[in-house]
Amino acid sequence: MAADPGELYEHAACGLLLTDGGGIVQRANRTFLAWTGHRRDEVEGQRFDSLLTAAGRLFVETRFLPVLRLEGSVHELALELRRADGGSLTVLMNAVAAVPDGPVHIAVMKATQRRDYERELLQARRAAERSESGVRMLQAAATAFADTVTRQGVADALADAAGRAFDAAQSAVLLLENRELGIAGGSHPLGADALLDRDGPELRVLRGDDELVLSDPAEVEASFPHLAAPLRRARVEALSATLVREEGKAAGVLTCFFGRPRQLTREELDLQASLCRLAGQALTRIALQETLRELALQDELTGLPNRALLRGRLVEALAEARAERRAVALIFVDLDGFKAINDELGHAVGDRVLAEVAQRLSQVVRRSDTIGRYGGDEFMVICRGANPRTARAIAERLAGAVRAPLADMPPGVGVTASIGVAALHPSGEEFLSADGLVAAADAAMYAAKREGRDGIRIVEPSPAELV
Amino acid sequence: MLFAHGFGCSQEMWRHVVPGFAEDHRVVLFDHVGAGGSQLDAYDRRKYDTLHGYADDILEIIEALDLQDVVYVGHSVSAMMGVLAAIRDPSRFGALVLVGPSPRYIDDGDYRGGFSRTDIEGLLDTLDANYLGWSSAIAPIITGNADRPELGEELTESFCRTDPEIAGHFARVTFLSDNRRDLEEVTVPTLVIQTREDAIAPTSVGEYVHERIAGSAFTLLDATGHTPNLSEPGKLTEAIRAFLS
Repeated sequence: MAADPGELYEHAACGLLLTDGGGIVQRANRTFLAWTGHRRDEVEGQRFDSLLTAAGRLFVETRFLPVLRLEGSVHELALELRRADGGSLTVLMNAVAAVPDGPVHIAVMKATQRRDYERELLQARRAAERSESGVRMLQAAATAFADTVTRQGVADALADAAGRAFDAAQSAVLLLENRELGIAGGSHPLGADALLDRDGPELRVLRGDDELVLSDPAEVEASFPHLAAPLRRARVEALSATLVREEGKAAGVLTCFFGRPRQLTREELDLQASLCRLAGQALTRIALQETLRELALQDELTGLPNRALLRGRLVEALAEARAERRAVALIFVDLDGFKAINDELGHAVGDRVLAEVAQRLSQVVRRSDTIGRYGGDEFMVICRGANPRTARAIAERLAGAVRAPLADMPPGVGVTASIGVAALHPSGEEFLSADGLVAAADAAMYAAKREGRDGIRIVEPSPAELV
Repeated sequence: MLFAHGFGCSQEMWRHVVPGFAEDHRVVLFDHVGAGGSQLDAYDRRKYDTLHGYADDILEIIEALDLQDVVYVGHSVSAMMGVLAAIRDPSRFGALVLVGPSPRYIDDGDYRGGFSRTDIEGLLDTLDANYLGWSSAIAPIITGNADRPELGEELTESFCRTDPEIAGHFARVTFLSDNRRDLEEVTVPTLVIQTREDAIAPTSVGEYVHERIAGSAFTLLDATGHTPNLSEPGKLTEAIRAFLS
């Protein structure tokens, strides 16, 4: 059987096209017409790209034609052809241009099934990749949060993680501190001022919206007309804001700023919420750590500073006194008769007495004084700027406060205080020893105790005497 | 003269145009970060999630080479990058030449960009289809071609190669951006070059750009398609020269 080249061409098992250098279809074979459902005159004489879907046109113009012109051929391009019935036909296409700007020979093969299969595979892979990358981002963020010990550190880590997860041009984390919202991490295109005095996305979210997405400048304008211009100047066209909770309560806001219109997917918003949840947990942990640190410096029974904190404050006070050549006094208060109460009425009563005495002592010191429990039934007061006379007045008030009758005590049962005061007035650059001052006040207290209870003894050591 | 290539390729897009200017101009060519022979590890998704990131790069190139009185020729999406750069620092620019510009590809109300959001999703799908099976590492879409030895191996290696991830992101940024409001802020002398039957940036879009850039010139090139820099380099060169003189 003689093969007729014309027959071979028209009925080839692939669609064949010939275009001129300008992209106008000169010839199409019957197979191509049959597959696409177009009449011959709807193809021949028309532009090649008019046979493609809009997406196909975008790809052909930006990718296929440049490569064809520079390389002379393109192989195995996956494309969608527009069919006469409005549907599309997935094809693989080869194209050869033997001469630059000359005619182009194009062959297309049906690839619908293969393409559908590939698309399914690809979608599955994409979904897996997205979920894997989401998990990776959460893990990385969790690690970053775990490494921070400050609220600001958490805010920075959250802003950074979210910015990278969503390709945000800028991201900021605002936290409520003492009921005021401030930028704690990342960077905010409008700075702190713009947020606080006027309604903005952050305040909206804090007041209960939980999540706010503005996808383009029109949405920004509609929701926050006063922010449209400043945001535009800052090159922000879209944003998202998500609430950060700490133990169920609003604690701050994560805001991501985008430089172009953006439509965040549900998946992305979920990831954003998860990041905020992790950050909230980190904030809770840090608050707990702070509480623990405070507890470590606080006497549990009386709520007053403990010995460690007193010592720290004393060192500070002495440094100040030395720098400013200012007087300072240390008062040592030891309860008389407490041991008997503890032994005879029990520790519970003893504890109650200590708490009550502590409460009274706190009320008679000056606002600038530091009072704490030194240990057992001993209290200490650091009096900044107090000369011996002032220190004596304070000591007398303390003695009076202790002497007053205790509530719910059997008749005749009470406490008094033996008080030692060490008052200093630095006159030069000499070193002031905290331990030495404590020892001096302690010795003065014992002297008072030896002289009989409920007494006050004041010493004025020179700095050189303090060892 | 600073030539900037559009989405989908590299500075090779200008190979037939550059000779027409090389004699009497200092010609600077570059690949956008993420394209051609650029350093792919410099691709910071946060920076390049907006055309401003690319505009900043253009200004950085101008700064680094200390270019003055720059004639910026931007093709396709690079036209808008040039617009943003010239708004940022007009002092460096002598002229803007926008080849096939579109400030927005997606239809919006009365505005006809020529595409719908679904079309753009379709493009991303097509990109996927053509990069399927590639590793995420760099892979040239086209390998060497023995019939065109003049391209040379070195050239082929960097020409139009891209990383699929970056191509997808660049496509989103290119086709989902909206720079219509920026046009009226351009103060640099501008030429808009449009071809007939440009499937990416229709003539009405070219006219839209021309109308909104005050004092701009408009040339309808006797050419078809979106890439006159490849199909009609002679006519394109002539049109730019006519504008500059």
